[in-house]
Order: sequence, then structure tokens, then C-alpha cells
Amino acid sequence: MAKDVKPTRKNLMAIEDRIELSERGHDTLEQKRDGLIMEFMDILDQAQDVRSDMAEDYERAQDKLNKARAMEGDVAVRGAAAALKEHPEITTQSKNIMGVVVPQIESSKVRKNLDERGYGLLGSSARIDEAADAYEELLETIILAAEVETAMKKMLEEIETTKRRVNALEFTLLPQLYENQEYIEQKLEEQEREEIFRLKKIKAKKEEEEAKAEAEAEAAESETVSAD
Amino acid sequence: MSLVGSSNPEYVVARVRARRGMLYSTEEYRKLTRMSPPEIARFMEESTYEAEINALGSRHGGVDLIEYALNANLAKQFEEILDWSEGELYDLIVRYLRKFDAGNVKTVIRGIYTDASREAIETDLIRAGEFDDRLIRRLLEAESIEAVVEILEGTIYGEPLAAAYEEYEETDVLVPLENAIDRAFYERLLGNLPRGEPVRQYEAFLKAEIDFRNADNALRLARSGAEIDPAEYFIDGGDLFDRDTLARLARDLDELVEYIADSDYADELGPALRELEVADSLIAFEHATDTALLNYGDKLGTRHPVSVTPVISYILAKEREVENIRAIARGKEAGLSAAEIEEDLVIT
Repeated sequence: MAKDVKPTRKNLMAIEDRIELSERGHDTLEQKRDGLIMEFMDILDQAQDVRSDMAEDYERAQDKLNKARAMEGDVAVRGAAAALKEHPEITTQSKNIMGVVVPQIESSKVRKNLDERGYGLLGSSARIDEAADAYEELLETIILAAEVETAMKKMLEEIETTKRRVNALEFTLLPQLYENQEYIEQKLEEQEREEIFRLKKIKAKKEEEEAKAEAEAEAAESETVSAD
Repeated sequence: MSLVGSSNPEYVVARVRARRGMLYSTEEYRKLTRMSPPEIARFMEESTYEAEINALGSRHGGVDLIEYALNANLAKQFEEILDWSEGELYDLIVRYLRKFDAGNVKTVIRGIYTDASREAIETDLIRAGEFDDRLIRRLLEAESIEAVVEILEGTIYGEPLAAAYEEYEETDVLVPLENAIDRAFYERLLGNLPRGEPVRQYEAFLKAEIDFRNADNALRLARSGAEIDPAEYFIDGGDLFDRDTLARLARDLDELVEYIADSDYADELGPALRELEVADSLIAFEHATDTALLNYGDKLGTRHPVSVTPVISYILAKEREVENIRAIARGKEAGLSAAEIEEDLVIT
């Protein structure tokens, strides 16, 4: 509230400094927000592609698994899955996109050769291989989707935060500072006007008193001359 | 049930012929493809699967009930065939049915490997092979893979498993053990076959089975591009490949396809091989080999009416029935249309 600010020249200077800083911050945050939105749009395109790939891969993997379960039996498929020794692993690192720390997920042992899946080749069939292949592909897409979607979520959170900051500066802080600046300027101008008016008054009074004193002096002088 | 005594094909063929008449017809498959899984279970309950559906109904539900009932019925029927058979006939039949023993041994070692409960392992067994209940109980009681290898000492799996166990200990993967089990089964298929025309026919069928298995595996290896020695996965006994030919062809998919297309199996596998050139899947090829084997099985059933061949023909037809009903039920569960399910069925 402008009324809470003391209308002093020092405060005006402080407010002007804050306005300058806030305007600079506002411009920088606006640029950051626009940059983040551009990066976000790129990631969004990528995420949409990965999502659609994931849906396709899931359909395909489920179809292959259903066919393997139908033709080989649930027991054979579960048995082949149970023979797996080397389970897939993921490691996470981070990278920085315009100040936003997003995860980078590295996977290993997802794609396997025929001899790495644990089940014997002689007693299994291509249906089980193809179901395993399709699920390995799906898992890779899920890991990529996790990376892209987490990055997207983090970017979105950052965009929201930046947008809130820009809005806070644009619609709350800066208007308040401008109002304070205007208030102080007005008050200072008013004080200046009052001062000038007061000085004028004093000057007028002084002149009046001087004139009165002069008149009195003149009267006294004329009385002395007539007495002589 | 015995290896001793004279062969009794007359009796077994008569029993099996009666059973063959109870197999589902093409028309019944068509009806099943239009039913939901509970309706399929109900349909099965009104046929030869009644006892199994009723016995397992309280423990399983949905498509699992259908699959376990199919497996239990298959096991019961094949066990009965082995019970009826004697002498040479028993030896000929058990050669083929040992694949269920191989499957059971793999189920047990996979169960131990993943710390599955004894009940879970037992549920998945299909007791249609040579192993008696006592041996299966001992296998289920085994607490380590090493104990399984010891229990199987004296069976056809004993030596190969013992030899593969060292590699398993080094690598901690089941591949060497599983391959040893399957190889033991395939190597015993053709050894010391008796003479006679029906047996020659049976031998031709077994050779076709081995050829198709080699062709499937060679195609899988060629497609995968993995650095695996194809000779390691060669099964001896077929007519289509020898070890060196398979090792050479498995490195070049086009040459392999051409080789099979120029072989005696060209008529049966030709269309599937042509499809293989454009499709990114071996499923159509496996489907073609399954159909070709079933055709062989059907031919087996007619030429020598009182021999091992009608019995094997029935065993193949029964296996196919179980696979088809399971495919229909699982297909329905997955929401596939009747037309899509019919594509996957193997019916001759």
C-alpha cells in the first residue's frame, strides 16, 4: 500500500532502484519463460511420438504374448519367463535444460540375444522369442517415455513457476512499486509546493513587516522635524 | 504298461479308435470360436473333459481352468495309452511321450531356480510321460537343481544333465540344462527302432519332426543375428540337414529359405516360406510346420490300421485338440475375433 511508504527522497531512490531491478528481472524471466516454452514444445512433440510408439509397442507385445500363450500354453510362457537370469537395469543421470535439471535414463540388459534369455532354444519356439522381443522393445520405449515425460513434467513445473514470477512482477510488484513511486513523487511535489508557498508567505510577511517598519520610521522622523 | 511282453497293437488301437471318435470336429471348433471362455468351459464340461473341469473348478477359474483341465485330460489319456501298451508298442509310443517328461523336468528346475512353491510347480506339470508318480514326487521334493540331477540319474536325462550341470554352475543360467534335456529327448526318438513298414512310417514322421525343429531353430538363429554356433543346436537324425549344412545355412537366411524351399518339404512349407520373405515373423512358418506334422499324423492313421501308427496319429490329434481349444480360449480372453482365432487353429 502506497500509504505505508514514507514519502522521502531516500525511499523514492530505493523504489526506483527496485523498479529498475524488477523490470530487468521481469524481462529476463519473460525470456526464460519463452525459451522454456520453446524447449517444452520440442519435448512435447517428442513425448507425443514416444507415447504413440509406446501404445503401438504395447499392442504389438500384448498380441505376441497372447499368441504365445494361446499356442504354447500359459505354462510354457511362464516357464520361459522364469528362466530369465539377467534382469534389465536402469541408471539415472541428470542434464540441464535452461536451468531445469531433468533425468537422463540409461538402460542396460533390456535387449537380449536368444542365448541370454535363459530358456533353451531346442524346446522353445519362435512365438516365445517374438513375445520376448516385443516386450524388450516395449520396455525400451517405456524407459524412453519415462525420461521424456519426466523432463516434460519438470519443464512444465518450471514454466508454471516462471510464469507465476513474471505475472507477480508484472501485475503485483511493479504496479505497486510504480504506485509507490508516484505517491512519493506526488507527496514530494506537494511538499515542495508547500515549501515554496510557505517561503512566499514568509517573504511576503517579511516585506510587509519591513514596509511597516519603514513607515513607522518615516512617521517618527516627520514627528521629530515638526517638533523642531 | 511294460517294455517286456509282446506288442499288443490290436487292443490299444481298438481303444484309441473309440477315443478318436470323441475328438472335437471342425464344426465344434467353429462353435467354440463363437463362445465366451465360461461357455467354452461349460461346453467342455458336457464332453470328455467333464471330470477334469469338475475336479479343478474349485481351484481355478476362467481360461486357467480350461488350460489346466485340458492338460489334465491330455495327461490322463496318454497315461492310459501307456498303461494299455506292452512290449515294442510301449517303446514306440513312450519315445514320443517322453517330451512331457522333458517338459516336466524343465518346469521343476525352472521352479527351483525361481524359488516357486512346490504347489505352483506341481500345478504346472503335465503327467503324460514315462515318469511314475514316485519319481515325480521325488523331483517335487528336490530342494536344489543339483538334487534334481541326482534324482534323474539312471533315466535318459541323467548323463546329459550331469554333463551340463558344470556349465550351469559356471554361468548360473538354465540354457545348458534345458538344452541337455531337450537334446536327450530328441536323440532317443530314433535310436534302435525295430523293423517293419509301420515303424518306417513312424520313423518318417519322427524325422519330419526333427527336420522341422532343426529348420525352426535355424531360422530363429538366422533371424536373430546372434553370435551363437548353430551346430550346438543341431539335432541329429533328420533327413533335411546334417550338422555342417545347418551350421552354414543358419548364417544366411536367404540361402536357408532357398534350401528348405528346394527340399522334399517344398509342398508343405512353400507358401509359409514365401510369406517369410515379406513378413517379420516366424509364426506363420511354425504354423505351417505344425499343420504339416498333423497331416503326417493323419496319414499315419490310415495306412497300417493295426500298428503303432494309428496310436501315434491319435496322440497327435489329441495334442492338437488341446492346443486348439487352448488357442480359442486364450484368443477369446485376449478379445480376438472368431476369424483371427480360426487363423491360428491347426485343423486338417
